[in-house]
Amino acid sequence: MREMATMEHLLTTEIRKTARKLLRDKRVDVVIGFEPGSVPLRSRPCFVRKEEDVDRLVWDGFCENSVARYAAKRKERMALVAKGCDSRAVVELIKEKQVSRDQVIIIGVPCSGMIDRSRIEAWAGPRRVLQAEEKEDLLILKGSDFEEAVPRSDFLCDSCRTCTHPNPVLADFLAGERVAEENQDLFSDLEAFDAMKPEERWTYLSGEMNKCIRCYACRNACPLCYCPECFVDATQPQWVGKSTDPSDTMIFHLMRAYHLAGRCVACGACERACPVGVDIRKLNRKLLKDVKDLYGYEAGLSLDEVCPLATFRPDDLEPFILNP
Amino acid sequence: MISLPRTLKKDRLERFLERLLEERDVFAPKRRDDLVMLEKIDSVSDVVMDYENTKASPKFVLFPQRETLFGYRAGKGRVEMDVPPGKEKGQVLFGIRPCDARGLLLLEKVFGGDCSDPYYADKRARTVVVSLGCVDPNPACFCRATGGGPCSSEGSDLFFMDLGDRYLIEVESEKGAALLEAPVFDDADEEALALSAKIRNQAEASMKPLVLKKDLKGQLERLFDDPVWSDMAETCLGCGICTYLCPTCHCFDLCDEGAGLSGERIRVWDSCQFPLFTQQASGFNPRPTVKERFRQRIMHKFSYLPETQGMPGCVGCGRCVTECPVNLDIREVMISLAEGNTRS
Amino acid sequence: MKNPYVPFPMRIEEILVETEDETIKTFELSFVDKEEGERFAYTPGQFAEISVFGKGEAPFGMASTPTLPGRLAFSVSRIGVVTGALHQMERGEVVGVRGPLGNGYPLETFKGRNLVLIGGGFGFSTLRSLTNFILHESNRGAYGNFTVIYGARKPGLLLYKKDLEAWQERGDVDLHLTVDQGENGWQGHVGFVPDVTRSVAPAPKDAYAVVCGPPAMIHFTLPVLKELGFGDGNILLSLEMRMKCGIGKCGRCNVGSKYVCSDGPVFSQAELLRLTAEAHG
Repeated sequence: MREMATMEHLLTTEIRKTARKLLRDKRVDVVIGFEPGSVPLRSRPCFVRKEEDVDRLVWDGFCENSVARYAAKRKERMALVAKGCDSRAVVELIKEKQVSRDQVIIIGVPCSGMIDRSRIEAWAGPRRVLQAEEKEDLLILKGSDFEEAVPRSDFLCDSCRTCTHPNPVLADFLAGERVAEENQDLFSDLEAFDAMKPEERWTYLSGEMNKCIRCYACRNACPLCYCPECFVDATQPQWVGKSTDPSDTMIFHLMRAYHLAGRCVACGACERACPVGVDIRKLNRKLLKDVKDLYGYEAGLSLDEVCPLATFRPDDLEPFILNP
Repeated sequence: MISLPRTLKKDRLERFLERLLEERDVFAPKRRDDLVMLEKIDSVSDVVMDYENTKASPKFVLFPQRETLFGYRAGKGRVEMDVPPGKEKGQVLFGIRPCDARGLLLLEKVFGGDCSDPYYADKRARTVVVSLGCVDPNPACFCRATGGGPCSSEGSDLFFMDLGDRYLIEVESEKGAALLEAPVFDDADEEALALSAKIRNQAEASMKPLVLKKDLKGQLERLFDDPVWSDMAETCLGCGICTYLCPTCHCFDLCDEGAGLSGERIRVWDSCQFPLFTQQASGFNPRPTVKERFRQRIMHKFSYLPETQGMPGCVGCGRCVTECPVNLDIREVMISLAEGNTRS
Repeated sequence: MKNPYVPFPMRIEEILVETEDETIKTFELSFVDKEEGERFAYTPGQFAEISVFGKGEAPFGMASTPTLPGRLAFSVSRIGVVTGALHQMERGEVVGVRGPLGNGYPLETFKGRNLVLIGGGFGFSTLRSLTNFILHESNRGAYGNFTVIYGARKPGLLLYKKDLEAWQERGDVDLHLTVDQGENGWQGHVGFVPDVTRSVAPAPKDAYAVVCGPPAMIHFTLPVLKELGFGDGNILLSLEMRMKCGIGKCGRCNVGSKYVCSDGPVFSQAELLRLTAEAHG
């Protein structure tokens, strides 16, 4: 037993309490949250429809999937256990009419950032980490013959390092205390890329595309990729070839990034889903920065703001048309 | 085994590999960023032997993700087709794990048979499989449950066991024996054999028992219409990770790629998890939702393939368990179904 | 050994628009390589994958009959990429053909038996092949009573009108044509195929029924045949699925543990019931 309740423990308790009440009062048909995974360092999405299953729900630093991914076009009334980024995705989905506001109850979770298990594996080297216990700002990593405490902040996912909105922007319940929002997004992760000349960028991106196996996990994990037929699957006409031909793979990633411009909430689900380490977020982050610079807009912050790429204003900056 | 086992001191491994590289392509585990991938190596110092398993399975060497079946040039009233010629050069799959070597056996059955696939056959004929036994299996592995084992030599031409300072090499075929020309091997002594047996026993004992029910096939058939499939498949994203990383998955698509009247008919990997896999031109889809597609995957692996090919379409490598973005665990699915339970 | 993925070229000799809405055309093809033509042997019920180079391949049942060598005929309904491209093609152009594929109808089992063929719409393709085969003078004597029931939505949508007229003239086949909606001048039945089957009431004794057509037609015809006393082992169906390799390797067209392309497409109802519930549709 823990000596004192950690934040994760408190959040878990609160999430279960809220979920239980919502199901009992029949305010929702399903609670979409997380349960412990079947292998170390994993938690995974789960669908809870009965009160007696509520104790399956947990909260920890491995709740890395986007629950908003399950929201689009769902007919049921749902409660979503949502981190900051998930709540922003829900805001976009509501604006895009993929789900209605009164259909969703957001159990908001102020997020301390998700833990990147690949960083833990890299740290462990040949050792196998069997358990990771979170204790405030420490991570206790345990194997069969070792136990070490490391700073939690060293093992955050890349997307969480640049997150400026860890608290849910839209929530019906908050499962815990709001966390400090300090980050000013300086887009420092894009400095190197921005400094590259076009040929260098092409070389870099081509190198990443070479890794891609076209499994579409990035697309399928994304809460905003909900098209019934993705452009890569169209046959009449066929826009993109189906193989891992580098040119086709580049088109897939570039076009997907453009389809997400102004809509991506930088949750990082795409990057975490990729089994072969393609730097998918780079493109999305670049476009996110460009949209912010050109139109002063960030996706997912407000139900009242309309996506600039879906609207026209006479004073829109259009340097790519007017100053080629 | 066709000849007595040998041992190879670890500091002589590179000499052995160099000798192989003289005449053959060698595919071996190699680091790429934080991952270990099976790749064609140029330099023997790139090879890693202390790894759990390669991220992707070796199947791409024999069954590439993109393969040209023939080129075509069509004109008015005529067409010419040419099949790329087979290659001569031998190749070695080196240091792959026993589960992956067994996986090749299933692929052999699928691509062989009455209507043999010449593209696969050409590559397979000139490939030698050298596998490396698992001393410390990952908790997600379940090779024993599918008829294999962490130190199984099934499907291998040479089987290596890591004894600490040297490898024990079991010679499983003539093809394997032919690789042992370099003067770097010793005959295996009693100590080596005893140590190997001990390590093997330890490795097997360390794996959590997972016994799949007898008559699993019958149980799966009985549960075909059960709503439990919806529960189990609910979190599935419908991506292709499980399929593409799996050592035995082999579904593919055929397409023409080219400009106008000349181009290539290519074969590319496909996945039964993708929505359009079975969609007919009329728009009708016999597997319209994730539930039917998920069920197909399980039935194909654990019911249909055992019936038609005599082995399951799964070697227990555990990749789908660890790589699935939502940690959908095929072992939990099988236990659930075997017991006739719902997920809760 | 032959490469099962490489088609052989065939030339389009004739194109016949079968239906008044022009969505179905029959293509008659000749072998570019005469030796290939001499080697080619098929059974009614088998199919081939036709390549339109640059567009892809699609499976089509043989509409021609092996008793007329040198030519193959396929009926194509314009629905998607390959069929759309085929419909644009002209006489003299070349397509690729891979075949024969599939198991075909069990002619040996049929010998000495009565046959009842029931087809709807476009599904009649391979039944036309089977009918012409049976009616050929060298074959007719080997089979018993022969009934053919064929329906379409309207008279203008019936395929193979010349064949139908020829069969009508004969005394050795009991032909029943039906349409959902009658028109002026229509002489045949008016009604759905299952209902016409019930009223024709073919006898089940020593008989095999072969049913080919849209899923709805099959769904309602099967109970009628059971009512009439046909056993599951005596009812044959030809299934359709999305196909690619046609040789049981690409994993796409299976119904249960059977590949429609290589174990089928012809299955008995008894076999289908033994497969998983996936087969029950």
